[in-house]
Amino acid sequence: MLENTPMLDCRSAMQQLWDYVDGELTPERMQLVRRHLTECAHCHPHEEFAQRFIAVLKATREERRCPNEVRAKVMATLRAEGLTFS
Amino acid sequence: MNDSGTPTDTRDADFAREALPYMDDVYRFAYSLTRNPADADDLVQETYLRAFRSWHTFQHGSDARRWLFTICRNAFLRSREKVRREVDVADGDMEAIAAAMTQGEMRADGTDQLLSRVDLGPALSKALDELSEPFRSTVILVDVEDQSYDAASEVLGVPVGTVRSRLFRGRRQLQDRLREYARDAGFASAGAPAKEPHDA
Repeated sequence: MLENTPMLDCRSAMQQLWDYVDGELTPERMQLVRRHLTECAHCHPHEEFAQRFIAVLKATREERRCPNEVRAKVMATLRAEGLTFS
Repeated sequence: MNDSGTPTDTRDADFAREALPYMDDVYRFAYSLTRNPADADDLVQETYLRAFRSWHTFQHGSDARRWLFTICRNAFLRSREKVRREVDVADGDMEAIAAAMTQGEMRADGTDQLLSRVDLGPALSKALDELSEPFRSTVILVDVEDQSYDAASEVLGVPVGTVRSRLFRGRRQLQDRLREYARDAGFASAGAPAKEPHDA
């Protein structure tokens, strides 16, 4: 099926790049965009950049955790409210 | 027994198992909304207090993290008594093209290489903190907390299209900040021309 579908042009691929990276397209669209990004030398680096950018953003998760004193305050508040779990 | 007829020890064990493990995630989201450690502390406490009090309304098997994010956002809005301003974005596809142009600029001046060469975590964390609302909470939910557009739409109480355009704008602002960082740190050249996608 997909072999007979015309390849997306670059503009369409770029319009859908972030939706593709976020996995928010339909399976058929995902395939079409993936095919374009794999085969197009101009657009492929855009995808690489987008994937790296998201990976670095995700990694910031590790830098901000709930401080222990806040965790202790939350638990004290919940116990005062009746939470009996230790 | 509690008001909902569930034995208290079961309720407490369920709450501890399903809600407490997400305290880091709730804290990050609370911080993204308040941008202030003291306010984030208060907001996390308020979120968990409300969650515990309304635990009987939680549908078991649904996404507890999303439920906590929603409570957190509502508590934040109520605490600020803030009227949310909706951002008008006329054309999501234009946003997508603009995002691609920013990427083109980053590639042209070499900033994109920074992503693999330099630890940008601290710079990006700072840029995230400085990102204005409502872009910050949207980027945090989708890019950092891995929520889908649908889930973010539910938490933020806006249509999916609004989530998408806020995300594009937020990411573009972050990329602009990275370019400034790269220029200031001497990693990239200034004023590279933007390249639009060409037709295949």
